[in-house]
Amino acid sequence: MYMPDFDYHAPQSLAEACGLLAELGNKATVLAGGTDVLHKMKVGKLAPEHLVSLKNLDELRQIRHEAGRGIVMGALTSHNTIYTSKLLQERYLSLPMAAHTMASNQICNMGTVGGNIVNGVPSADLPPILIALGASIRLVSTKGERTMPLEDFFHGAAETVIAPGELLADITIPDQATTGSTYMKFGLRRSGALAVVGVAVSVRVAGGVLEDARIVLASAAPTVMRAKGAEDFLRGKKISDELLAEAGEKAAGESRPRDSIRGSAEYRRNLVGVLTKRALRKAIDEGHV
Amino acid sequence: MSDNHKVIGRSVPRIDGPDKVTGAAKYTGDLKFPNMLYGKILTSPYAHARIVSIDTSAAEALPGVKAVITHKDVPELKYGLSPARWDENIFCIDKVRFVGDKVAAVACVDEETCYKAMKLIKVEYEELPAVLDFRHAMDEGQPLVHEEYARNINTEIHQEFGDVEKALAKAHHVRTDVFVGQRTYQTPIEPHSSISMWEGDKLTIYASTQSPHYFQYYIAREFGMPMGDVRIIKPYLGGGFGGKLEPTGLEFAGAVLAKRTGRPVRTFYDRAEMFAHNRGRHAQYMEITTGVDKEGKILAAKANFIMDGGAYTSLGIASAYYAGALLPMTYEFDNYKFDMFRVYTNLPACGAQRGHGAPQPKYAFESHLDNVAADLGIDPMDIRLKNARRPDTVTPNDFQVNSCKMKECLERAREISGWDEKKKNLPHGRGIGVATGSFVTGAGYPIYRTDLPHAAAFIKVHEDGTAATLYTGSVDIGQGSDTILCQMAAEAMGYRYEQMKIVAADTEITPLDFGAYASRQTYMSGAAVKQAGEEVKKQLLEMAATMLSLPADDLDCAEGLIFSKSRPGKTVTFEEVARKHFVLKGPLLGRGAYTPPRLGGTFKGAAVGTSPAYSFGAQVGEVSIDKETGEITVVGIWDVHDCGKVINPRLLHGQVHGALYMGMGESVWEEVLFDDKGRIKNAELANYRLLTAMDMPPIQSEVVDSIEPTGPWGVKEIGEGSTNPTLGMFSNAIFDAMGVRVNSLPLTYEKVWRALKEKREQEEAAKA
Repeated sequence: MYMPDFDYHAPQSLAEACGLLAELGNKATVLAGGTDVLHKMKVGKLAPEHLVSLKNLDELRQIRHEAGRGIVMGALTSHNTIYTSKLLQERYLSLPMAAHTMASNQICNMGTVGGNIVNGVPSADLPPILIALGASIRLVSTKGERTMPLEDFFHGAAETVIAPGELLADITIPDQATTGSTYMKFGLRRSGALAVVGVAVSVRVAGGVLEDARIVLASAAPTVMRAKGAEDFLRGKKISDELLAEAGEKAAGESRPRDSIRGSAEYRRNLVGVLTKRALRKAIDEGHV
Repeated sequence: MSDNHKVIGRSVPRIDGPDKVTGAAKYTGDLKFPNMLYGKILTSPYAHARIVSIDTSAAEALPGVKAVITHKDVPELKYGLSPARWDENIFCIDKVRFVGDKVAAVACVDEETCYKAMKLIKVEYEELPAVLDFRHAMDEGQPLVHEEYARNINTEIHQEFGDVEKALAKAHHVRTDVFVGQRTYQTPIEPHSSISMWEGDKLTIYASTQSPHYFQYYIAREFGMPMGDVRIIKPYLGGGFGGKLEPTGLEFAGAVLAKRTGRPVRTFYDRAEMFAHNRGRHAQYMEITTGVDKEGKILAAKANFIMDGGAYTSLGIASAYYAGALLPMTYEFDNYKFDMFRVYTNLPACGAQRGHGAPQPKYAFESHLDNVAADLGIDPMDIRLKNARRPDTVTPNDFQVNSCKMKECLERAREISGWDEKKKNLPHGRGIGVATGSFVTGAGYPIYRTDLPHAAAFIKVHEDGTAATLYTGSVDIGQGSDTILCQMAAEAMGYRYEQMKIVAADTEITPLDFGAYASRQTYMSGAAVKQAGEEVKKQLLEMAATMLSLPADDLDCAEGLIFSKSRPGKTVTFEEVARKHFVLKGPLLGRGAYTPPRLGGTFKGAAVGTSPAYSFGAQVGEVSIDKETGEITVVGIWDVHDCGKVINPRLLHGQVHGALYMGMGESVWEEVLFDDKGRIKNAELANYRLLTAMDMPPIQSEVVDSIEPTGPWGVKEIGEGSTNPTLGMFSNAIFDAMGVRVNSLPLTYEKVWRALKEKREQEEAAKA
């Protein structure tokens, strides 16, 4: 349990950071909140030659609303900043609540939304609710920048489309047509628990009919996944308990969980069904919670 | 109950409170000495392997490395805690027996260099087949963990009292159940640490230990030194729960490294190494049979257990005996049979964990008893009241029970939990369960054979009488014994708690005490402290008699004031008298010692479980189960204990809450998991799920009025015994909520979900 040797860089601007990453290539690892990277280094799972800390990039630490674009959140925004953001609490309380329940207070102070995304693990708590809200991300490098829907960012267990030299700069949540959203996480204790399964949903309800729904699953496949079959099944249907239960079963059927020390695949699949049903009901009845 | 006590019976503030809440308290790992080196132990990556060769040359060549040692550099003498089975070497000689077995150690200028040096030690291993499943460790053809122990049997116990088969033959109903308990780990918040240093031939070790005396004894023995040349000091300590009772290897390695280098050496475990060193709760297979009459009176009980000992004995022989010894405690029956095999496996060694040996068997017995009650259609509370032990009785295995308010505990728990109402009205998915527990108030016999007293104490009154210092070998590991013993000293002297000082747990300064285990200190250390305090008071009253020209037996002293019993108003202060005593007669000192009476029967193993007094308790818990996920929500817990006279109510309830916290974890959330190579899968606090403050339910903790006639002021234990009912209580509450029982610990959400699913499928199959 000791950090291997490394060189440390703390660039003063986004441009400088991109320059350093371009120069160091795959010898460098980006350090944001450090809750994943430092742990991996201590247990010997990661031994980068260079750590590029983003701690001086205050420009990536803001949450603001831009007319016509939506809410833009810098990648270095901490979980507790998200939790306490008035702007987010007023518009989409589901996101602050997901940030609040993800870990202990200490981790929520250190960890960042960017790290939670770039780390790419299927149990991450923020990507599901962000995808449910249709979030997009902006990746920057010395070669320029690209923007993509967050759901296209992940493509396998701990695998993302980020290229060497690229940095996640910010996340944008577009202005919503949805009427409700929520993230439900099943952990094995009340605090400091990783998701055995997590389910985020967003819904658009009008006149007792579910006009549209998004269902996004954590810890239910090698990567965060949308249950598109269940979404298609729900679209345009009249809301009833039976309908939501059936959607849950469909989402469970689509999920591809594995056995782990936190639960068997069979148990997880069951949880996907139960949580999907409950999350849909909550978002339908209570709005963005 | 009204009494005249001025200092005991009050929730005085902890004597160590300000230091701990301000962060001023220094734990072993916080201490630094000039020229101190850092030491680490290199351990085995294999569960079972022959050591072919060890090459330390590259490590020795690394700058900053001051010493590298292996088995060649240390005594070959085997050690352990239980003298019946000394089976550990400081470093492995020919083979390693679990992932984490100790192979070599380094001392370096800093911690970082230690890790680099360990990577440079080349150990060539030849991997051997390993025994990882304790249920099959005794099978023919299994590899042997220790060649000298056939079929991997570490300990074998066969005891019978009365005539079990005859009683079962006559019983109205006989039932057998099988339960399995899991391995858990004590997980103290403070990692194990020690700092060793030599001055000439004298060795001083600062250690996070529950027993400086046993450390001193075993370290002196290992190095062939007189005990007087070994000094063990316990600084502030952050929890032990049984896991810091025995030498850990850190002290032996540290002592040799310090000798080698001529410098102080700090050795320590990180969190993962703590799990690997382990000595936690044994996993256990438990088959229980009882026979009862029509009313549910237990006629006979039979326990057939197998324990996973891991690679070494540790305290496991005692754990094995305790598992059976304490089963006939809370309920009365005459016929009892206990069979036990503790087997070796290639996993970390298990030892003593809070409630030593008793909690899992209690879980099995309490679950079984509810099954029996269900068979007979008897309320679980009623079957316990029918069988509850009475005071002044003797168990079938010859334990004398004096005070015992088992029945009153059950009745009070029934009342405050609203048992009768809830039993009738709770809907499916909600359930209420009850279980009982009991524990020794200190072990009747020491761990190694000796006729030394179990506890001793001095009190020095300062020359001007404005303070008194208690010198005790007892060990505050967080439970609050320093506070309690100062209260007891002040009470016995007629002094004020606020003026007490304490020096504890330093083998060179404080008198012998066996330490913090077997829930012994309030009673045993307290008995020695009371005697010392009374000796001070006697001398004070004699001096005051001269000063006041009154007979000493007309005087008494309370809260620092000496007064005449016959002439109100005739007083003199403690300070004045103490000062006068110092001037005229020299230092005012009190001394005390405690040795338990001869206890127990004469059969093999009769000593384990003997105690001068036993605590009793009943616990009721209510749970709510999410039928779709198996998630368990604890609605409330009601805890009622017979722990004799209470010295400090707040600390007592703190012990009950802490025991419940640990018991809850063991019931539903905690388990040490291994992969198929014997490596721990969750040697960290993310996946070894200790509960958080958020998980704790509302708790109502009460005591029944009770006085133990043999104890100082009537005290008994609370710290360990209060863990014992919890596992069984959860099992029974969950059973009540869903009508189906999970037969293995921990009672996880997934197991509960699966049990409900299987029940539903069976019911559907029956319909079809």
